[in-house]
Amino acid sequence: MASIAFRNVTKRFGDTIAVDNVSFEIADNEFFCLFGPPLSGKTTILKLILGLERPDEGEVLIDGKPVNHVSPARRNVAMVFQNLALFPHMTAEENVRFPLVERKMSSDEIAPRVADVVEKLHIGHILHKSPAQLSGGERQRVAIARALVRDPVAYLMDDPISALDARLREETRVELKRIQHELGRTLVYVTHDQEEAMSVADRIAVLENGVIRQVGAPSDIYDNPNSAYVAGMLGAPAMNLIDLDPDRPSALGGALPLEGITVPAGATKIGIRPEDLTVGYDGGGAGKAVEVYEVEPLGGVTIVTLQSEDTTLRAMVRGQPQIRPSSEVSLSVANGQACFFNGQGEALSA
Amino acid sequence: MTAIHLENLGKTFSSFTALRNMNLEIADGEFVALLGPSGCGKSTTMNMIAGMIDPSEGAIRFGDRDMRGVPMSRRGVGFVFQNYAIFTHMTVYENLAYGLRATGVAKAERDRRVRDMAEFLHLTPLLKKPAAGLSVNILQRLAIGRSAIMEPAIFLLDEPLSNVDAAFRAVMRTELKHLQREFRQTMVYVTHDQLEAMTMADRIAVMDHGKLLQVGTPIDVYNNPSSVFVAGFLGSPGMNLVKGKGVESDGIKRVDLGEAGVSAPLPAHLSDSVPEGASVFYGFRPEHCELTDGEGLRLPVTFVERIGARTIVHMGSDGSAVKCVFDNRVPVRTGEVVSLAIDPSNVRLFNAETGAAIGGAN
Repeated sequence: MASIAFRNVTKRFGDTIAVDNVSFEIADNEFFCLFGPPLSGKTTILKLILGLERPDEGEVLIDGKPVNHVSPARRNVAMVFQNLALFPHMTAEENVRFPLVERKMSSDEIAPRVADVVEKLHIGHILHKSPAQLSGGERQRVAIARALVRDPVAYLMDDPISALDARLREETRVELKRIQHELGRTLVYVTHDQEEAMSVADRIAVLENGVIRQVGAPSDIYDNPNSAYVAGMLGAPAMNLIDLDPDRPSALGGALPLEGITVPAGATKIGIRPEDLTVGYDGGGAGKAVEVYEVEPLGGVTIVTLQSEDTTLRAMVRGQPQIRPSSEVSLSVANGQACFFNGQGEALSA
Repeated sequence: MTAIHLENLGKTFSSFTALRNMNLEIADGEFVALLGPSGCGKSTTMNMIAGMIDPSEGAIRFGDRDMRGVPMSRRGVGFVFQNYAIFTHMTVYENLAYGLRATGVAKAERDRRVRDMAEFLHLTPLLKKPAAGLSVNILQRLAIGRSAIMEPAIFLLDEPLSNVDAAFRAVMRTELKHLQREFRQTMVYVTHDQLEAMTMADRIAVMDHGKLLQVGTPIDVYNNPSSVFVAGFLGSPGMNLVKGKGVESDGIKRVDLGEAGVSAPLPAHLSDSVPEGASVFYGFRPEHCELTDGEGLRLPVTFVERIGARTIVHMGSDGSAVKCVFDNRVPVRTGEVVSLAIDPSNVRLFNAETGAAIGGAN
């Protein structure tokens, strides 16, 4: 059981600042997700927690105690690697036992600890198999069991399911969340997949270039992004960011009328989630028509890509609407379903 | 102008049957996706169309030309693989121009076509850059451009987007579809990703274990899957399939779904095909559930996934595990028992033994 905190931590590699004056606190038993594009500092933060890297400035704390000078082995934090590196020549059971065998523990000590994690992760029936005989999800659980058998105070995962196909990822992330909930252990989780981050995390830290842009519960960040950057990182398709017309209450040169919408002072852009952009396709509509570029049916919803001069927009329409490419539609948005940003990309409250 | 005809096509590799008895007509200018899990035979089918491997049985015709014995280079086929094969020692311009140069297209014409394709794929600012330093995303875009610039009558793509990141994949889906609508090549697209197949193809051919299971427009296959496999494979999450038994009282047919309760009365086109006591899968899409205070399936909520625009609510367990998709604001909590109303017109039934759909299309 452990809380983890960073106080003004900076880490440089040569001239590159990998982590730039970062502070956060992860509560005991929290599922905390570090989310950002490649090279945004996610993996470096994990290494700083593990002790594989030391900060150039600032302090890393585990359970309130500074650990900058504590070796990785004595931090008792476990890592589950990206490729779930199980030893291929060992059975699942031998893999799980390995960290304890390596510590020269006796068989009598090892047995109950292995039995405990085996039960928690429901892997009793696959212990005799080799990694090659296991499914992706099973390998996942064996890898977690091997990390947990040391009884670490917290465990870290670096993009553990990114190699699985889409359907298996959707199932495995739910399984991971369930496991973390049952184990009641602090989990720091790195991903570049926004849907995965929102699905599993109690809280998400959104990173850009070594800086944390926003920390919060997934729905808070999704509904109230503090910047255009964060707004664009969560949601698929991404939020539409559209220049406001300078001289009138509209955007897209009149194609998106904004009469009756409260626009905060200083706003230069309006942000609208695809599910909040309303497409009128049976005539009418207050604004200038825009052209439909492509229509992509997903079954339950349909993504409509629109082209208005230089701006490409995406709307998500429920069901299976009869909208055709190259046809003309009207756009609207309801009050309260848009975000606004100033010239620096900062969110403004309406 | 080329239609593709696959007639009783089959392929065995020593004792392994990769594909059996495949019959498919792909119309001139059509975008067809071959969709299925790994090992379903989709890539084998494509490799035979390309001429990379020979069929063990059956025939492939392009228009009325039999392709037996015709080498890959003379089939007029453009090919894009998962692993883009770009010449990294050349610039973007040189890569795009390569095929045109090799086939002796005059310089002025070559230059025009390279610039047009670069513009179409947003590669214009990169034309003078060496390919070696480009990102995976750009390389795959370039690979598509290099093949498309030859204006092949048939364009074959094998998982071209599986190595690129999610945001870029979404953009490329739209672009590829647009490209095909502009140029009207016959396009065959191999993928295991139902989302790519649904969003891009004119028709989807769903395959499993070397067999073609169903062919149709994306919406048709999604709405009226021919089997539990197709029902579960399409959609995210896939169709819910709850095991039950046909029951009848007062002349009204329903499905007894065990712990979840008894279904609403079955619509006429289904009730005639379900004898009392018959084992069935009761199928419905995750977006076709509504929370109700009245009659409905009673299920405990096991997990709530709030993922932006959608909330996936996981309910029940084992044979009656159900996932429903709601808007992000749905007030549901783990542990509570909810009542679900499912519009009978959205219900699909399947034979529990064979997995085949019961009753005609709705």
